[in-house]
Amino acid sequence: MSNRLITFGEVSRFYGEVLGINRVNLAIPPGITSLVGPNGSGKTTLMNLMTGLIRPTRGDIRVLGVRPDEPEKLGPLIGYCAQFDNFPKGLTGYQFLYSFLRIRGMNDAECEERTRTALATVNLAEAAQRPVAAYSKGMRQRIKLAQAIAHDPQIVVLDEPLNGLDPMARAETIELFQEWGGKGRHVIVSSHILHEVDRISDQVILLSHGYVVAEGQIQGVRSEVKDQPMQILIRCDQPNALAARLFLQDHVVEAKIHPDGKGILLRTTDADQFYLMLNRIVLETGMEVESVAPADDDVNSVYQYLIGGEGGTT
Amino acid sequence: MAVYKKTYRPYEGPLTASWSRFLVIRRYAFEDLRRSRFLTIFYLASFIYPLICALIIWVEHNASALKLLNLEQASRLIGVDAGFYMTLLGWQSMMALFLAAFIGPGLVSPDLTNNALSLYLSRPFSRTEYVVGKLAVLLTLLSLMTWVPGLLLYALQSYLEGWDWAAAHTRIASGTFLGAGIWILLIALLALALSAWVKWKPAAGALLFGIFFVASGFGGAINAVQDTKWGYLLNVSNLVGTVWVQLFEGDDPTNNGAVFFRQAPGSVIPVWLCWAALLVLCLACLYMLSRKIRGAEVVR
Repeated sequence: MSNRLITFGEVSRFYGEVLGINRVNLAIPPGITSLVGPNGSGKTTLMNLMTGLIRPTRGDIRVLGVRPDEPEKLGPLIGYCAQFDNFPKGLTGYQFLYSFLRIRGMNDAECEERTRTALATVNLAEAAQRPVAAYSKGMRQRIKLAQAIAHDPQIVVLDEPLNGLDPMARAETIELFQEWGGKGRHVIVSSHILHEVDRISDQVILLSHGYVVAEGQIQGVRSEVKDQPMQILIRCDQPNALAARLFLQDHVVEAKIHPDGKGILLRTTDADQFYLMLNRIVLETGMEVESVAPADDDVNSVYQYLIGGEGGTT
Repeated sequence: MAVYKKTYRPYEGPLTASWSRFLVIRRYAFEDLRRSRFLTIFYLASFIYPLICALIIWVEHNASALKLLNLEQASRLIGVDAGFYMTLLGWQSMMALFLAAFIGPGLVSPDLTNNALSLYLSRPFSRTEYVVGKLAVLLTLLSLMTWVPGLLLYALQSYLEGWDWAAAHTRIASGTFLGAGIWILLIALLALALSAWVKWKPAAGALLFGIFFVASGFGGAINAVQDTKWGYLLNVSNLVGTVWVQLFEGDDPTNNGAVFFRQAPGSVIPVWLCWAALLVLCLACLYMLSRKIRGAEVVR
């Protein structure tokens, strides 16, 4: 099983006296995993560690059972897309992909085929012979993604891959992530765009000041945040009556009638109790409930509860 | 946990030898250089002097040509000996220094500026291979300017003079190869180290010249003020010249250095010290490179 996981065991990384990450323990399964945290929280450090670009000060890292200081074994497993534009000078899109495949040791025919496939995957086939320096921001982001997946790696590590993309390109890129994740790859994404992260992630890792604050599926993380009342949106035909009944309960902290008058936004310290009680109310009053849905079990809310107010994140 | 169907296709075919992957770096570097008309012309011009030398050797062995030019005594004027080849090497080495100053600064600094090192180092490609790849660009170009024409001229002279001459002058061949090798390795390492530390290319190129000319001037000032000869340790061309003399003529030299590396009387410092100083300089360059060539820039 550990050969299908990326594991960090008590990993710390210091830059001189500055903390990168400290005592991180993680086991990342396949699927899309998002790293979320404010600037300087340790996201890029975590990515650099798992790609072998830097070594931990202490602790043990295994990437599908391989140590990151074994580049011959790790290289074929990983595709890395860095946060900043990182292109050697003077290359066309085709040359860029081709040459970096050659560095992986593939032969000429294989590199040519994979270069063409990768260019087509990110919709850059027509711009293949143009210098990368002449690409737009979105195109540069896509060619970076192409170099990360051209060798068909098991793990794709993407540092802020949605930065600078227009909404259309962003949607296309997210589709690619989902496709890659759906193929059983590990797709590790760091992003500041929390609502996008929420949409695509199978699990999230929240980081703050070099520590892992929370990890796992976001709903699970939210349910662990006990000190913040859960918000639930109930759409029904008798919101006033429902609010009146709810206010009698100790676990209900707040109940707000929805602006359109067709629902209630509730804050409760015990969601399970609320669901049981709602069943009773519906049976007793015969009110029609259209929907009941948690309103704050998304990444953005969890982020605000756990990290909130530290800045640097939208 | 979600269940995924693994459908991606990782590469499982044969791989090229890992030692040969540094050659990929050369591939596009040469193409990039070829686009510069100035560099192409300069590079071609650097072969003029070896061609003149070839002409001299040919003329010297062609009695009718000598007679035609009324230069029957020319062989006494221009002897094709160690001095002849050291002069060739000295001239070509100076051209090589200029070329390294033009090309070298553009090899590493753009990768650092563009954060491109993570691209290389997140692959099965080490920092050493990266440096070797960049060195290979310079070493290939500089070799073609220095020891390759030198050895071709040695072969020409041996062919025309007879293989006995070749056997009696093997030091010329080994001296040309090793002497040029030391020189081009030194300037290539210096150019890369400066390129890694100085991102503005003209400044890096100027610094490369500075190491040779300003440092030697500084060394000369030390000699004058302190009435010593140890200031010559700062004169890189002096160090190389001393090593060349030993390589070409052994421990009993008749020459005091090639044209561009002539040593002033009384400036001779022990050969082992020159070797040691050059080694220290190379190690310093490697240290500078190791500090900068990293997968992730560490911001403190």
